[in-house]
Order: sequence, then structure tokens, then C-alpha cells
Amino acid sequence: MPLLTRRNLLKTSIAGSLALPFVTRLALAQESLASEGVSDSQIVLGTSAAFSGPSRGLGIELYRGAQAYFAHINGQGGVRGREVVLKLYDDGYQPVPSVQNTMKLLLEDKVFALFGYVGTPTVTRVLPILKKFQQEDILLFFPFTGAQPQREPPYGEFAFNLRASYREETQGLVDNFLSVGRTRIAVFYQADAYGRSGWAGVRKALSAYGESIVGEATYKRGSRFSSSMRDQVEILKKSDPQAVICIGAYGACAAFLRDAVDAGLEIPIANLSFVGSENLLQLISEGTEASDRYSRHLVNSQVVPSYEDESIPVVKEYGELMRRYNPKVPGDLYQADYQPFDKSFVSLEGFVNAKLLVEILNRLGDAPSRERLEEAVFSIKDFDLGIGELISFSPERRQGMRRLYYTVVEEGRFIPLYDWSARFS
Amino acid sequence: MNIQRLFQRTLFGIFLLFGIIAVSTSWVCIATVDSQLSEEYVSNSKGIAKTIADASVDIILNRDLSALQSLIDQFLEIQGINYIYIVNEDGEFLAHTFVPGIPEEILSSDRAGTDSIERSFSDAENYIEVGSPILAGVAGSVYIGMDKSLISLKIQRAVGRQMYLISSIFIAGIFAAIWLVNLAAKPVSALLAYAVQLAQEQKGEQATQNPLLERDDEAGQLARLFLYFAKIVDPDRVEPQAAK
Repeated sequence: MPLLTRRNLLKTSIAGSLALPFVTRLALAQESLASEGVSDSQIVLGTSAAFSGPSRGLGIELYRGAQAYFAHINGQGGVRGREVVLKLYDDGYQPVPSVQNTMKLLLEDKVFALFGYVGTPTVTRVLPILKKFQQEDILLFFPFTGAQPQREPPYGEFAFNLRASYREETQGLVDNFLSVGRTRIAVFYQADAYGRSGWAGVRKALSAYGESIVGEATYKRGSRFSSSMRDQVEILKKSDPQAVICIGAYGACAAFLRDAVDAGLEIPIANLSFVGSENLLQLISEGTEASDRYSRHLVNSQVVPSYEDESIPVVKEYGELMRRYNPKVPGDLYQADYQPFDKSFVSLEGFVNAKLLVEILNRLGDAPSRERLEEAVFSIKDFDLGIGELISFSPERRQGMRRLYYTVVEEGRFIPLYDWSARFS
Repeated sequence: MNIQRLFQRTLFGIFLLFGIIAVSTSWVCIATVDSQLSEEYVSNSKGIAKTIADASVDIILNRDLSALQSLIDQFLEIQGINYIYIVNEDGEFLAHTFVPGIPEEILSSDRAGTDSIERSFSDAENYIEVGSPILAGVAGSVYIGMDKSLISLKIQRAVGRQMYLISSIFIAGIFAAIWLVNLAAKPVSALLAYAVQLAQEQKGEQATQNPLLERDDEAGQLARLFLYFAKIVDPDRVEPQAAK
């Protein structure tokens, strides 16, 4: 037992003063890492999405797909020994709560990065916050929106996108409709930034052919399937369209399809990937024996392949992990009356997003830091995610995938559409 | 003399006076509030329109229209702003906030300038529409529709408060008038009764002992005057106590 002598005290104090800078530096490094949402055991990511309200299906399904992959990775020991944790907040697909949630995630929760946000009106309002906190190297990964603001200056440098853009989706729909002689195209859209983004895409695509939008009608964000869209149908009918492109969420788009067909507007009605195809189909099929009366007019563009096609490696993996983990939204965000889908386009997108993010986190090495996050993303070159499309990122290319898929409904299921002329000529 | 009629006339006069006051002050209030609020509305709207116009330049020239829509959606949260639309230099709509669609009244109007105008849609609401050019008009214009019903609501509130005050004063005035008329009517009634008593009594002592004769107001003087004339007519009457 060391005695409390003058010599021992001197030795201890010398050793202490030599070790102090190293101990302090280590403690500061630990604190710095913890303040960046990274600890020895966890990497914390922040999400604000719609877990309640008329578009909750989008947030819930996107989360479930992502969580299936994170659960799989965490079950295998996590990313280099760290569990990937999602800190979730509900914004109900409304801009103001999404801004408040983001501030909370950055200032209180101090998350490592933002991931899996849902919606254009929400994300466009969050982007300026990322610019404000650019010194903190906060990045937004793979939001569930194809809008342009997070793809171009001045905010493009703060986000990475995986999915194709609305501009590409609307371009594809216009190309295909015009290829089968349907040149009179009308637009039904949500009266906000999302709707405008899609409207601008259709306008741009048509102008390349010397055409313009023949009619347009809007609806208020948050409209439900129970809402009447007869006024909108009447407005569009006056322009005698040959096809309608809808830029909306499932509740309103299903209501529009119902009222359009009921009013005799029996023409192809297209939706973008954001719509939530399974939720839409479920709404128009509920309570009617002849759901085909409505669904046969549907054509939806998708940014991921069919979840039924298990010949695609990532789809097979998705199917297996969804069955194994069947993730549920955690306690306070759980919606008892919402029945999730076993598989959906939205949850497949969430799964693919999570898989690529894990790859990026893995490339950060044993001491992940926000500072090197962008560099890790740019190291992704011709990466095979198993989706049939090689993925690359660079300072000039901040969107991973561009491929589009088109689906129609047959026997109550979405199937790929390859021959437009056979279906819509 | 009919006291009831006198009372009715007084009340009628009070009603008339307060009616004139209420109508005239309300009219002045409506005119003042309407004109001031309208001016303030137009002035604020022009300021907002100019702010949007200035912020729109970069978006229209360099960015996606969803950013423009996001911008105007934020301004729509301001109380009183009912709609916003932005057109390019060719009059094509670039962004707007109308649901379920752009009203026919706007589609069919040939809006050239950015002066303030009044609009009325099929929803029976009235709007003040102001505009502001974007990049001196070469990149288009911003228009803002302010809901006039908000002005009407504020006028209603102002007039309501004023009417509440006038009604309170009116009710207090009625009670005061009843009390004052009663105060004046009591001696007149007593005088009337005394005159009748004088006329009925041939030779009575009671008429000369009435407390009315002791009053030093107009009622007392009239009572003494009646007694004096009664004595001229009938000298046998006894001298009043008060006159002794």
C-alpha cells in the first residue's frame, strides 16, 4: 500500500501532469463524437416524417422498409460494432412541424445525419436549416421526394438523393403518353411545392414536344379519400384531356380517380411514385366489388422495381428481411388503426435507402465523423446495390438512381407495364 | 294636463336623440375604419407583394418552380391574404394558391398593370388585389388577394363596441330620465290635485292647509296663486296657513 509521503505525492503529480493532456484530449474526442450522434455503441440518425394524418402510410412504410435492413445489420453487430439507431419524429406531412423536429434533432438529439424524410413541402422548408448549420456538416440522406430544391443550388450540396426525380418521372409519363398518341394531358396536383414540382415537370416535358398542359386542377394538402374531388373533375373535363397526371398523395388521388371515373372521365390516370400505390389501391378497392372499374385506368410510375420480382437480388433480400423482422413503428408513433402492407414500393425504397446508407457508414471506418461523410459518399462508384443499376456519386452527381418503372393493376395487384400502346392506345 | 303624454314625449325625445347619435357615429366609424383599414391593407399587401417579387427573381431565373410555390405558401399563412399568384411576362401562371383551380374571373381578365383592384369571385367574397412587378415587369408579376371580409369583420367589431357603449349610456339615460320625470311630475300631479280640490270645495279649511302651499318652488307659487284666485272668486275662504 503506497504511503502518503512527499516522494509519492511528487511522483503522482508528475505522472498526472504528463497524462492529463492525453486524458483530456481523449475525453474531448469522446465528447465530440457523442455530440455528433456517434458513440462507441451507436450511430444515431434523425428522421422527421408523416406517421399520422392522411399521408401516414408513406412515413410508416418508408420507415418499415429501412428498419428491416437496419435490424438485420444491427443483428449482425451493427456497422463496425455500432448499432444504427433511428430517432423518429412525426410531422404529419406538414412543413412547420418538420422544421421544429429538425431543430430538435440537430440541437437536442445531436444526430449524426438526417435520413428518410418524407415529402417536398417539408423538405423544402428544412433545407435552409441545413445551410444554416453547414459548419456542422449535417447532411440529409435519401429523402422520399423527387423535387428539385434538394437537387440543385443553393441547397443541393446539403442532400443526397437515391431515387429518380419528379422531373424524370413526369418526363417519362409524358414521353409514354405522347408515344401512344395521347397529347392532351391535364394535371391534377397538390396545391404546394410538391404539386408545383410535378406540374413544372409535366410543363417542361410537354414544351419539348411543342405541347402544353390542357387543364389543371388542385387540391389542398391533407385531403382524404372521403373528400369530394368533383369540382376538380369538372374543371379538367372542360379541357377534354386524353390523360391526367396526378401529383399527389394516395388519399386525394384515390378520391380523384373515383370521382373522375364516376363522372365518365374514363382515361388513363397516372400517378407519381410518391403517391403510395398500395395505399391508393386499397382505398379504391375497399367497399366495392368492382374495383377494377377504377383501377383499370391507373398507371403509376415507380422509382424501384416491382417487389414481386424476386429475380432482382435486392428485392429478394427485401422480401426475406421484411418477413423476418416485420418492423413496427415504435410506441408513441404507433397507429393502431393502420394496417401495414407486407410489401410495398415505398417500403422497398426505404429498404434500398437504408442499404446504401449502411454502405456509406461502413466506408467511414472505425471513427465515423460528419466531416468525412461527404467524402465517403463520393467514394461510391459503380456500386452494385443489387437493383440492376450501378450507383455512383460525385460532387456533380448527388442522385444515385435514374431508372423508372411503370405499373398497372391487374387482378388487384400492381404488375409491370412494358407495352403502353397495347394498354392505352 | 296629461302627465303620461309628457312622459312619453320625453322618452321619445331621448330615443330620437340616441338614435341620431348611434347612426351618425356608426356611419363615421364605418367610413373611418373602412378607409383606414383599406389603405393599410393595400399598403401592407403592396409591401408583401414587393417582398415576394424581389425574392422571386432568383427563383424564376435559376431554380425550380417548387421553390417559388414554397415561398408563396409561406406568405399565405399571413392573416388576410386569401390568394397569391405569379405570372410570367407572357401572363402564364407560374405558381398560385387557388383550390380547386384558378377562378374564371382571373383567367378571363386581361391584367396588364399592378394597380390595386377589387375582385369578386363566385364564392361571393370580395377581395382587394394588389400587384408588384418582378424585375421591373420583364420577369412577370406577383398578385396578392386580400380578403375584404376581414375588413368587414373589423368594422363590425368596432361598430359593435361603439353600439355597446351607446346602448349602455342609453339604458342609463332612460333610468335617469324616468327618475327625473318622476321628480318633476310629482309636484305637478299634486298641483293638479290641489286645483281640483279648490274647485270642488265650497268653503273648506283643507284647501288652506295643503303642504303644497309651503313649497318655495314653482308648484308652491302656482298653488298659492290658485288659492288667491279662489279667494277672489269666493272671499269666504280662509287665509292659507303659509300665507299668515
